[in-house]
Amino acid sequence: MDSGFWMPDAQDTELIKRAQAGDAAAFEALVNDYYGIMFKMAFKWCGDRTAAEDITQEACIKLARGLDSFRHDSAFTSWLYRLVINTAKDWFKSQNRHPGAGIEQAEHVAAPEASPDDIILMKQVWAQIQILPEGEKEALILVVSEGLSHKEAALILEVKESTVSWRIHEARKKLESLFGKEKKYG
Amino acid sequence: MDESALKKIMQEIEIPPVDANAQKRAANLALAEFKAHQKEKSEKSAQGTSILSRLIGRSTPKTGKNDMKFGKKGFVFAGTGTALAVVLVAGLAMQGGQMQDAAKQTSGGPHNFSNVAQNITTSKLSLPGIFDVFGGEKDAADEAMPLASEVTAPPGTAEASPAYIAAVEEKNEEALEKALRTGDSTMPVPVEAPTDRLQLPEKAPSAFKLDDGMEVAQNRADSRAAPEREEAKRKAQAPAQDKMAGTAPGASSPGYAGEGAVSSSEATTIYPEPYPYPQPMPMPVSPPVDYYPQPYYQEQGRDRFPEYKPNSFKVAQEEPVSTFSSDVDTASYSFVRRELNAGRLPPAQAVRIEEMVNYFDYNYPVPESREEPFQPTVTIVDSPWSPGRKLMHIGIKGYEITGEKPNSNLVFLLDVSGSMNAQDKLPLLKNSLKLLLDSLKPDDTVSIVVYAGAAGTVLPPTKVSERSTIYSALDNLQAGGSTAGGAGIELAYQLAEQNFNKEAVNRVILATDGDFNVGITNREQLKDYVAKKRETGVFLSVLGFGQGNYNDDLMQALAQNGNGTAAYIDSLSEARKVLLDEASSTLFPIAKDVKFQIEFNTAQIAEYRLVGYETRHLNREDFNNDKVDAGDMGAGHTVTAIYEFVPVGAQSARSVDDLRYAAKPAAEVQAPIAESKADSPFANEYAFLKIRYKLPSEDTSRLITRPVTGQDQLTLQKVECGPADSCPASASDDTRFATAVAGFAQILRGEVNMVEYKLDDVLALAQQGKGNDEFGYRAEFINLVRLAKAFENR
Repeated sequence: MDSGFWMPDAQDTELIKRAQAGDAAAFEALVNDYYGIMFKMAFKWCGDRTAAEDITQEACIKLARGLDSFRHDSAFTSWLYRLVINTAKDWFKSQNRHPGAGIEQAEHVAAPEASPDDIILMKQVWAQIQILPEGEKEALILVVSEGLSHKEAALILEVKESTVSWRIHEARKKLESLFGKEKKYG
Repeated sequence: MDESALKKIMQEIEIPPVDANAQKRAANLALAEFKAHQKEKSEKSAQGTSILSRLIGRSTPKTGKNDMKFGKKGFVFAGTGTALAVVLVAGLAMQGGQMQDAAKQTSGGPHNFSNVAQNITTSKLSLPGIFDVFGGEKDAADEAMPLASEVTAPPGTAEASPAYIAAVEEKNEEALEKALRTGDSTMPVPVEAPTDRLQLPEKAPSAFKLDDGMEVAQNRADSRAAPEREEAKRKAQAPAQDKMAGTAPGASSPGYAGEGAVSSSEATTIYPEPYPYPQPMPMPVSPPVDYYPQPYYQEQGRDRFPEYKPNSFKVAQEEPVSTFSSDVDTASYSFVRRELNAGRLPPAQAVRIEEMVNYFDYNYPVPESREEPFQPTVTIVDSPWSPGRKLMHIGIKGYEITGEKPNSNLVFLLDVSGSMNAQDKLPLLKNSLKLLLDSLKPDDTVSIVVYAGAAGTVLPPTKVSERSTIYSALDNLQAGGSTAGGAGIELAYQLAEQNFNKEAVNRVILATDGDFNVGITNREQLKDYVAKKRETGVFLSVLGFGQGNYNDDLMQALAQNGNGTAAYIDSLSEARKVLLDEASSTLFPIAKDVKFQIEFNTAQIAEYRLVGYETRHLNREDFNNDKVDAGDMGAGHTVTAIYEFVPVGAQSARSVDDLRYAAKPAAEVQAPIAESKADSPFANEYAFLKIRYKLPSEDTSRLITRPVTGQDQLTLQKVECGPADSCPASASDDTRFATAVAGFAQILRGEVNMVEYKLDDVLALAQQGKGNDEFGYRAEFINLVRLAKAFENR
């Protein structure tokens, strides 16, 4: 990992190592430290608080067994992203539920001061993001929403950087075709 | 949408705050798993034989919270294995509390249908909480519940004995076997033949979010997956050692994420796909790439809509009179919105133009007195979708109730059958009714009757002021069993009559997905029953829920016969609109049997058609017959009807030719206004509008009439011009908006008249007619039109 982006600070590295060695207290602290980050990611993925809590919980349980395989060669957060995304995919598959529509109902979605127009647009855009193909959706969330570079996203998603760029391009094209000519009718 | 706008939307999403309890629960479960994992690592030789590792091995993508919820229902299952591990390994006392809770619940909720169990087909039975590896047992859970309670560990026991675990295991086995023996008794799937534009792979219904953290029931699997489950179970029974993440064959993503991050492929091989609705065969999992876009309506197979043909043009000379009943229902719009938001095109039959148009509130002038509940507003504009034709808008708005509202005697008749067990059904229903309570007065009474396989009173007539009693009755509702709507309706009317108050609004509010399959299932019989009860002064309103099983046809029929409205609740915000913002129109009728009759002046009008209202057609003679039932209006309701007509002389806009042998073909009536018939008193009249209605307490109808003249003609477009003399008068925003909605609905129905009219035109017109839009409903419509554009060129 040449850039060394988001290398966890020394304290976290220490915590992870202790947990990997079997220290239960360290593991518990680790889960509590990263619960918020995982939840946020899960919520973006599904737009539904209850589902996000289920997914995060599941991801925490997976972490119990999966932590051993974290090899400290990347940022812990990126490794966690991968874990959460996979868990979310599994979760939806197991529910045979399609992500999306949840966000349509979510009341937390927009900033409170937003105008009704903005809120509706925001909900609709998110609803459309939810039904993008998984590859495009995860790329879009990581790059546009989380602000990662294409390269960082590519590492997390285990695809080539160009694939990430292409997926984002595709996703934006679709969203543009739906919401594109925004001002034309005004 | 440019990059920065997208960025803004995606970054400014507000993440709900982390729920401390959820975090604690997750941490505890993870910790238990962690300890179990460490222990396994240290005693590798014991793999596969220790009860602990077998239990842990069953941890699945669905463990945890769902199972905990389920645990409350009193059955200890797969996911609870993880919880058991907490007991075993960590010895946390907290689980004791859970168990206690579980034991308590098992002894039965407040409405315990003892005979439901017999009625339940295994396929329809569904319980909150998801089973994982033990999926098949879900179907037998009902029988198994008491069994489970027998073996439940004594409350407060900090440690479950191995014997206890073995007992649970044994019971689980039995339950599974029973389920498999019972076999597949799923109801046949009456799939309506898809029309040519309706085809596509199946998809699960959209997920749903309800706000206040209420328990969200999960969609159920159906028993057709039983064979798969059996296999899944067999796999799960295998020694647990290779269940460890990453070592399973097919685990993908080598390298970066490591073996720890369990990939999706593993889950599919082990866990059956639960499917929310009975399906004829296991569904192929379509590759995700195919998800977008989803251009067609996907037949869920069981939503039912009335069959009708769009009204066609009628020759005014042959049939100069048009009669229809008012309609204030809005169900169609909510359904269409839901489908479009989920990326599907609604089926043409689900689009009822008048319900789409009437969903919105229009600011028509209102009379002052209750003696005359409304006055008609008529506007004539050029038809935007057919050159040469014109539109005649007829709008009425009921007066608003001011001052003291009448009391209400409401009976909620709630469907708690298995088919209601989805996030967007029973849970949404409970919350919707809580909302409704807010719009009632403290001394109003409500009662609750539920029906599934049987019907029962859950809440006897109770004052709204005793809110906690009502809440707890609502909170205890659970779904399961078949649907004997008929028996429930009888019981509900009984209660309403018992508590009948002459001064009050007496109303049964039926909330259901409309899947009546036990009891009085005969539609006609039900309709007659409701109509008969209407005479006694008890009205019926219908709230429709859910999708996939929604029987719109029956809901409509019941509401029409019960002097009530049918609304479709697809979200909590819709519930708020119907039950809170519009509570007075939903609850307080100001006029009943509202009928419209329009006589067209054949000297002016060659052809006409009524846009929408197909299911509300009345015969000409029905208008004056007070025995014929028609639609009703509540306080503040608006009704808008639109006619499209071809003026005499506009030959190119005609849809049919005149008859050669007709007395006087319209083409030869060279009668532009004030020419040949200048002496006629009706020279300037296009048509004559008559409205009949009854006051709620009366049986004789009253009549309102109004000629429609050339003076009603306005320009559709918003005209911006100075104080010039020749400036044409422009129609109201309401007219523009209603026209846009009607245009949109017709496009969605694929009507032939609309080939030239595009969604962009709808958008432009709707934007012009947006007006004040206090609640944002019109803005929402505009965005729906944008969504629909995704389908336009297919």
